[in-house]
Amino acid sequence: MSPQLARAASVAPAPRFSPEGAKAAGLRLVRPVRSRARKAPFVVVVLTLLSIGLVGLIVMSTVLQAQSFKAASLNRTANALQVQQQGLTRDVERLQSPSNVARRALVYGMVPNASPAFLRLSDGKVLGKPEPAVRGNNITRVSQ
Amino acid sequence: MVMGVFGVFGIRLFQIQGLDASAYAAKAIEAGTAKNVVPAPRGEILDRNGVALASSVDALTLTADPTMTSANAPQIARLLVQKLGSRIDYFDTIDKLRTPKSHFVYLAHDVPTWIANKALAAVANADYTGVFTEKESLRTYPGGKLAANLIGYVNGVGKGVAGVEAQYNNVLTGVDGSSTYEVSPTGQRIPMADSTVTKMVPGSNVTTTIDRDLQWYADQRLADAVKASSSDWGLAITMDVKTCQIVQMSQAPTFDADSGTGMTDANTVSRAVQNVYEPGSVFKTLTMAGLADQGKIAADSKIVVPSGVNVDGFHIGDYWEHGTIHLTAAGVIAKSSNLGTIVAASQESSKTMYNYLRKFGIGQQTGVNLPGESEGILTNGAKWTKANHDTIAFGQGVSVTAMQMMRADGAIANGGKICNPSVVSSVTGPDGKKSPVKTTAAHRVVSKKAASAVTRMMEAVTAPDGTAPAAAIKGYRVAGKTGTAWRVDPVTGRYVHGQNTVSFMGFAPADKPRFLTYIVLDKPYSNAGGGSTAGPVFHDIMSMALERFGVAPTGSKSPHVPQVW
Repeated sequence: MSPQLARAASVAPAPRFSPEGAKAAGLRLVRPVRSRARKAPFVVVVLTLLSIGLVGLIVMSTVLQAQSFKAASLNRTANALQVQQQGLTRDVERLQSPSNVARRALVYGMVPNASPAFLRLSDGKVLGKPEPAVRGNNITRVSQ
Repeated sequence: MVMGVFGVFGIRLFQIQGLDASAYAAKAIEAGTAKNVVPAPRGEILDRNGVALASSVDALTLTADPTMTSANAPQIARLLVQKLGSRIDYFDTIDKLRTPKSHFVYLAHDVPTWIANKALAAVANADYTGVFTEKESLRTYPGGKLAANLIGYVNGVGKGVAGVEAQYNNVLTGVDGSSTYEVSPTGQRIPMADSTVTKMVPGSNVTTTIDRDLQWYADQRLADAVKASSSDWGLAITMDVKTCQIVQMSQAPTFDADSGTGMTDANTVSRAVQNVYEPGSVFKTLTMAGLADQGKIAADSKIVVPSGVNVDGFHIGDYWEHGTIHLTAAGVIAKSSNLGTIVAASQESSKTMYNYLRKFGIGQQTGVNLPGESEGILTNGAKWTKANHDTIAFGQGVSVTAMQMMRADGAIANGGKICNPSVVSSVTGPDGKKSPVKTTAAHRVVSKKAASAVTRMMEAVTAPDGTAPAAAIKGYRVAGKTGTAWRVDPVTGRYVHGQNTVSFMGFAPADKPRFLTYIVLDKPYSNAGGGSTAGPVFHDIMSMALERFGVAPTGSKSPHVPQVW
């Protein structure tokens, strides 16, 4: 760039606002916008939201804590019931055990059958040689 | 001045937050977290119908702090004895509760929780303090002595050390879980706080092939027989010959792992797989099967039986005095003639006989998959003397386990095909998924014709003129063989005159075999024989097995095979 041109650029006047020019360009001044909203409701909303959140948090925390107590108590009950069930299952197993059934059967005078025989339902035929079980020729005591 | 105070605070803050931060954080976490171990319950051992033979329950160990209990020791002891019964001794407990200079004593181990809780409640209600508990898992055996040697037992830390408990310890044992969570200073769990839970994986259940009711009956019948014959010990085993599943395995005397009684080595050893003995005449069935497979013998083959033989300086005779007699092969088995068997076996070389015995599994483990199984003793046929050849033919000079004999004679009952006995059928994981235990396929050792020839011979044993008419079951065809073997003293390794191991092996129905039952009685009173002592036990247990499994007789008649010619 030549020195003349550079000087010319630095001294060139800045464009000025002229109402005529603006009008010619279709521009005009407008009034500043006046906000109608008041500040108070906004503050209320924010405070309400905060309060709800806070109360919600407290309620939730309390409920959770209460549930935690309840869960602990229910767990204890469940454990106690489980232990009780184990005890009862054990009693049932003992009562159902073959030795217990045999002991009671022997008391009633029953004897094990040592001559297997079957009745075929289709034709009513007896398979095998049935014989009455006789006391004393099979197990007579329960020691096992 | 103010700046100085703030400066001191600042330095301390920097020390806590900047330098020692991690140590303090760790301390805080430690104080604020609780860790719980969730013990995994051990899997159950079930019978073939799903009935529990071994299961685990919650238990407590009762402890006390003598400094708190010594003043009221007699009262506390009385309450505990009332609730715990024979688990605790009154005077012992008083001594323990008064132990001087001690803060901790054990009062009773392995008390089921439902019983321990009653004792604790009684102590608490009477306003006594100083009795505490520790949680543990207790293994229980609802059947007591039932199948004890097969099921086995666990040691003090819950690890299986015998039987199925030991063999399947890995699958029965679960993986303990744990839970870690943050707690308040008062011990309350803090909701929503960090927590980690490692899930507990329970042990798998093991389903055996045992039928509980048949097992109990056999246990009782065998115990009666052992007592009546004054035997040292006895065994009774029943196997389904089609599947080689063991449906009952009894031993007497035995132990009760539930109450902890009778836990001696002699009782806890599983004799069916760990005890070797000389089988005696039951072994003749294998000798005959090998010969029949080579076409060298049939049930009606004629044998000239001498009055006695001298081999390598030994005299061998029969259990009854006779001159030269004419017996058929069926007669040799029916009358259990040692000399007849020697004559029959002289048709084959030691090498051939040895090879057949190996094929029958003698001198090898059976694959039953139980701990500590013995291989028995069968020396190499290439080294046999004439005496070895002759005595092994009738079951002396060879040592077997009862399970080996079951497997070998099972092949005769199963038309010549041998299979490995099994005691466990499946394992059920914690997810309920059932995986069957792999079994090996049966393979042929002798021809079907040979097996049926030996079956004919064995049917003669239970005939009225055989050695074991007491083993016959009315309406059924029963094949069997008695055994009365000289007994080797385990200490000296020599035969003891007058001491025997008597046995009976048999299967039924002979024309459509379903069950094989083996009875062994060791060292009964001196004149006891296999047929008269073990035969009736076989009869009762086999009858019960046929009845329980609904095996009806086929109705066919046993073909008459002459025993003499």
